[in-house]
Amino acid sequence: MIFHTASDIPRPIRLTDSTREWAFASLHGKYGDEAMRTPCVNLDHIEKFEALPDTEKYDIAIRNIAENAPVRICPEEKICGAATLGDAVYHIVPVRYRGEAILDSVSHLTIRYDKLLRKGLTVYAKDISKRLEDKTLTDSQTAFLHSLENVIESMRIWHGRYLAATKNSRPDLHKLLLQVPFSPARNFHEALQSLWFVFSFVRLCGNWPGIGRIDWLLGDYLKNDLKDSLLNESQARELLASFFIKGCEWIQSNPPVGSGDAQHYQNIVLAGIDAAGNEVTNEVTFLALDIVEELAISDFPITVRLNKNTSNALKNRIAQVMRHGGGIIAVYNEDLILQTFSNLGYSITDARSFANDGCWEVQIPGKTDFSYIPFDALQILNKVIGITEENIPAFHSIEEIYAAFCDQLYETVKAIYVSSVTQKFACKKGIWQARNTVIPTSVVSLFEDGCIERARSYYNCGPEYTVRSPHIGGAPDVANTLYAIEKLVFEDKKISFSELVQALKNNWESQEPLRVYVKNKYVYYGNDSDDVDAWHTRLLNDFADMVEYCNTQDACPVKFIPGVSTFGRQIDWAPNRCATAFGYRKGEILSGNDSPVPGTDCCGATAIIKSYCKADLVKQSCGSALDIKIFPASLSGSNGITALISLMEGFLTLGGFFMQIDTVDTQTLLEAQKNPQKFKTLSVRVSGWNARFVTLNQEWQNMIIERSSQNFM
Amino acid sequence: MLPVTKIQRFCTKDGPGIRTTVFLKGCPLRCVWCHNPETQSAFNEFFYSDNLCIYCGHCASVCPANVHTVTPMEHVVNRMSCKRCMKCIDACPTGALERCSEWLSADKIFTQVMKDAAFYGASGGVTFSGGEPTAHAPALIPLLNLLHCNNIHVAMETCGYFDPAILPELVKTTDLFLWDVKDTDERRHINNTGVSNRKIIQNLIAADSLGAKTILRCILLKSVNMNAKHLKGLISIYHSLAHCIGIELLPYHTFGVSKNGLLGQAEIAHKEWIPSSEEMKQAESFLREYVHIIHN
Ligand code: SF4
Ligand code: SF4
Repeated sequence: MIFHTASDIPRPIRLTDSTREWAFASLHGKYGDEAMRTPCVNLDHIEKFEALPDTEKYDIAIRNIAENAPVRICPEEKICGAATLGDAVYHIVPVRYRGEAILDSVSHLTIRYDKLLRKGLTVYAKDISKRLEDKTLTDSQTAFLHSLENVIESMRIWHGRYLAATKNSRPDLHKLLLQVPFSPARNFHEALQSLWFVFSFVRLCGNWPGIGRIDWLLGDYLKNDLKDSLLNESQARELLASFFIKGCEWIQSNPPVGSGDAQHYQNIVLAGIDAAGNEVTNEVTFLALDIVEELAISDFPITVRLNKNTSNALKNRIAQVMRHGGGIIAVYNEDLILQTFSNLGYSITDARSFANDGCWEVQIPGKTDFSYIPFDALQILNKVIGITEENIPAFHSIEEIYAAFCDQLYETVKAIYVSSVTQKFACKKGIWQARNTVIPTSVVSLFEDGCIERARSYYNCGPEYTVRSPHIGGAPDVANTLYAIEKLVFEDKKISFSELVQALKNNWESQEPLRVYVKNKYVYYGNDSDDVDAWHTRLLNDFADMVEYCNTQDACPVKFIPGVSTFGRQIDWAPNRCATAFGYRKGEILSGNDSPVPGTDCCGATAIIKSYCKADLVKQSCGSALDIKIFPASLSGSNGITALISLMEGFLTLGGFFMQIDTVDTQTLLEAQKNPQKFKTLSVRVSGWNARFVTLNQEWQNMIIERSSQNFM
Repeated sequence: MLPVTKIQRFCTKDGPGIRTTVFLKGCPLRCVWCHNPETQSAFNEFFYSDNLCIYCGHCASVCPANVHTVTPMEHVVNRMSCKRCMKCIDACPTGALERCSEWLSADKIFTQVMKDAAFYGASGGVTFSGGEPTAHAPALIPLLNLLHCNNIHVAMETCGYFDPAILPELVKTTDLFLWDVKDTDERRHINNTGVSNRKIIQNLIAADSLGAKTILRCILLKSVNMNAKHLKGLISIYHSLAHCIGIELLPYHTFGVSKNGLLGQAEIAHKEWIPSSEEMKQAESFLREYVHIIHN
């Protein structure tokens, strides 16, 4: 029973053997396989189902899931509830009618849990019935509120089944369920059960919410229990471990190969300040780190909010966990993000509550309808300079090229604004709402602030905030291209512009010396070289300005904010992209997120961070992600911990946004590629989420292997 | 001006914290196990990597001395006639030809090493290595002073073989010495490095009496110096020093040999000298009773 580590120091052992064995089984697909055997609930028996309105279909579906999803209680578990239907693993409401999945589910959000823990679900029912007294509600608003009631009733059914199942066999669990989630949690164990039960039900219905700030949610409960000696630290760790292990219930032993299975957006955010400005870091923060450190669980990607005052003790723990590899822990620059949110007009209390959408895009949890729209900026540039066109345009300076590119970039941003905001939302009778009917989302709507008050659903401006975010992909590729053209054509005059474009059209064929020249002799983004980094900074600033400009052109309250990402799309894009002016051939994998193009960075992790931080990242309000891979050998010994902490501190000082450090060595990855069976739990972090390496297809695996590394000994 | 072979960022093995290591060219010793052969000679040299060469012939066409003979299949480098003009390096598009070093002013080096100042934190800083940094003392000391005045932690990896007259200045501006003690046996030292170890040990003791903080870096070569006598010798040196914070043991490795090839030199890998990790552990546990062992 080995939990893989990239470090030469083995993972610590703190949990009991049975907990560890249970974790091992779960990580190796025991429960995911089980879920696949019961993919969905069949609705064929419902009469005239097809003719029903969507909301009713949805309500029936949720109720049927609650009534029929298999109940699972593992002997080792200390909290119960399980998302046992296989279709949910694929982001589908797990019901089928005549063999077809019929309803979509929701992700990219973190729902609100604190109200649930403190007040209990019963309060929600009261809030809804009170709201239903309003005589001015429209029919659809009334139907929506009833649909929310249906969610609570369904949860009561599901809860009832667990009560019955635990009554004789598991009095410990039964006792918890008598209190939560319907009544307020009174201690750590109940709070944990309440949180899990609701999260689990929301997932069972096919949605993929994040968890958010688990230490903030649970810390006070644990503090009190420890103070009153109801629990000791290791008992608390065992309880919390149940939560983490149960969170692996969707891992399959032989998952279909794709872009990774461990990406159900169940993100956790740790530490940082609370609404009043006090540091949250507490016992739960450290216990959560203990658990992922020991069990190598990557299914809850963790991001820690670092700020100027983050304690050394916490940074030390983060570094220790990071060093084991798997990229389980990433970091946010809290001070910068709070600045960003203040610029966006969020209240200081909302801003301070930030978590993410289940990936790394920051949002106000429980209050935000969020989605992002990715696009490939490199392809825009390729078109402007004529690589993808019949005729090669004439340009006489790099500034002319950049101006033409910006025109097209703006057209893209504007088109995204029109399609995702203007055409989606309208102001009717003074209220901003969705233009057209939206899909039912009652399960998540119940846990979003504003949906009950407004009697509007998640996609219908129910939550406090609606956010749409265009995400620029290939920003480092564009910066490198502009720089290479500037040098090669206009400064060193090695080739004319049209000859260069022709060479790129021909995939550099018959221009090999020139190709290797640009590839080797110029210094690109990621090496702390001001010339090329200036292009990157300028591009991101101009992009942010364009997005902001769109946002100010009408009265629509939807927040339209810029972000920088590819989330692995560089793989999908590769076959359709062209050869690049910085010496890459068609089809080669280029930059991921805001990280350097693989193979162009040769000065180490610090230089990468510096290049990235030169951009004014406060303007990228949705976030910009930097992925760094470091060989474990350069992080060995106590100085390895010091080095990791120094990287985090430098990242904060220089104004980074989000950074994930992965410490996997190529050798291990190559071995894993050859012997997937031996490396089932080896996880790597791919552009914002974690994946088990062996679940990735060859292309993805190769990309990770190629991602340049900083191994200087 | 200083002959720099490389300024390497994000080093985690050359002293505490994150460091930028500046490698200087030229060394008074000729260790048979040297793993940075390009830093030995003070001459300008170049690396040639055949696997990067695309046989374009650009080098041959600019070379005034017919050093390069390039055919579509083969590139023969005849360094004997090289005038060290470095024209071929600039002409090579692929990086197959690479300068071993560049002359940089202290200011330029200072600017380079300050690029990572944000990452040095409380413990990190700059390390000078080589070659032998003290071989360039007159040009180096002002740079050390500059760093010192800017509160940058300075470490120096030295073979200890230098004119003791520079010691006071050196100790004043250097926060930590990574002091090589290659062998405590004088005869072997002479045989394997070309010089006696006497001056090295004397300098070490003199530096210590001036308050220099040191880590002794000791290369261990199986069947050369990996014996009880040498280890005991290390212990007694350690105990004669008031400011030594520990001993770091370095197993001999053969990575440097790849660079001999790039320099057009014979590639002699003494595999028989590589100690096993078991043997390293044994040596370590022997020493551990008497000295503080540093792991990096
Ligand atoms: S350095 Fe000058 S002389 Fe020597 S090989 Fe290169 S071009 Fe020829
Ligand atoms: S210039 Fe460079 S690539 Fe061309 S033949 Fe000479 S060494 Fe090879």
